[in-house]
Amino acid sequence: MKNLVDSIHHLFIPRHTNNFRSKLLHHDFLTIYLAFALILTASVTHIQNTSGSILGYATDISPQKLFELTNQERQNAGLNPLEYNEKLANAAKKKAENMFEKDYWAHYGPSGETPWEFILSAGYQYEFAGENLAKNFLFSDGVVKAWMDSPTHRENIMRKEYTDVGFAVVNGVINGEETTLVVQMFGKPLYGVAEQPQEKEPQSQVPAEQTEKDLAAAPETVPETSVLAEDNAPTPFYSIFLDINMIFFAVLILALILDFYFATKLNLIHIKGKNLIHIIFLSTITIGTIVIIKGSIL
Amino acid sequence: MHLIKQIQKEFKKHPFDYLLFLTVCVFFVLALNIFKGERLLEFIILLAFVSFYIIWGIYHHIIENTLHLKVVLEYILIGFTVLFLIKILIMP
Repeated sequence: MKNLVDSIHHLFIPRHTNNFRSKLLHHDFLTIYLAFALILTASVTHIQNTSGSILGYATDISPQKLFELTNQERQNAGLNPLEYNEKLANAAKKKAENMFEKDYWAHYGPSGETPWEFILSAGYQYEFAGENLAKNFLFSDGVVKAWMDSPTHRENIMRKEYTDVGFAVVNGVINGEETTLVVQMFGKPLYGVAEQPQEKEPQSQVPAEQTEKDLAAAPETVPETSVLAEDNAPTPFYSIFLDINMIFFAVLILALILDFYFATKLNLIHIKGKNLIHIIFLSTITIGTIVIIKGSIL
Repeated sequence: MHLIKQIQKEFKKHPFDYLLFLTVCVFFVLALNIFKGERLLEFIILLAFVSFYIIWGIYHHIIENTLHLKVVLEYILIGFTVLFLIKILIMP
């Protein structure tokens, strides 16, 4: 225990063992950070190129997560959860493909395409239908949060008439910009043409000891990727990477604050950069990262 | 309390330098917000900000008469680490 405390002091607080400069801020440590960042960048680029996905997408958005979050919001408001509908998912996919093909970012296409056409052409006869769009988001929760913060999108999610929902998460280029489009389509089938319940076996990921009640409460299984191609499947890498990034910046800022505090307290004179500027720089970069991961909705 | 006093002291010593840096920080965040989603522009903005941070460091230490290779290296190492890490998010 004493050793651990001693090591933490050695890493963060200027004292004789670290030449009166937080060890985490020594040049050898800073070089290790840079080498690590370089290796990581090269690895990600290599994986992106070899996996066939050569465009610059970095997203962790999945229809499964969007479905869970949407239903969670509805249940929080006391509404019935929506059921995942393959036809609506297919309509959403067709809509996203059409937006990329005709290069537009709107509910209505340049040739007069309406969201309802895609729903009807997917074989879903509706009594009520709706559509939410999003682009440039990195994470599913960011998409749902942005929709919930917008009154019109929130109204769509919370509309009690809807019984079904479908999602598409598709990568492509729109207005010359590489992006990930999210299309959410809602519907209520026309009376008398309601679909037969899907004969889907419960997935093997459901633990065997779960009771029948648990199974009934579990969300309906959604394909992990209702997207254009398998190689576009989102991975949790970026969400983990973002967390590690934020922790790394926080640790570095903490070390800089402690170094600044003790160096001024002990009147230490060192040849070094301005800790205050490093702190402002890293804090601004952290805010910038938050801005980058936010996208647009329509 | 000591920390705040020291920060104030540092700001009063070089008000122009710090004000300039803070202004550029605000412009950096605003520019990212304006060009949100345009990956190449986001990367150019990030690159410009990192370059400014390194140049600011060199300029400030020249004014203070404390310029040393170690100091320049410190700004370069921190700046480029951040550049590569954020590049993964913008243009993987």
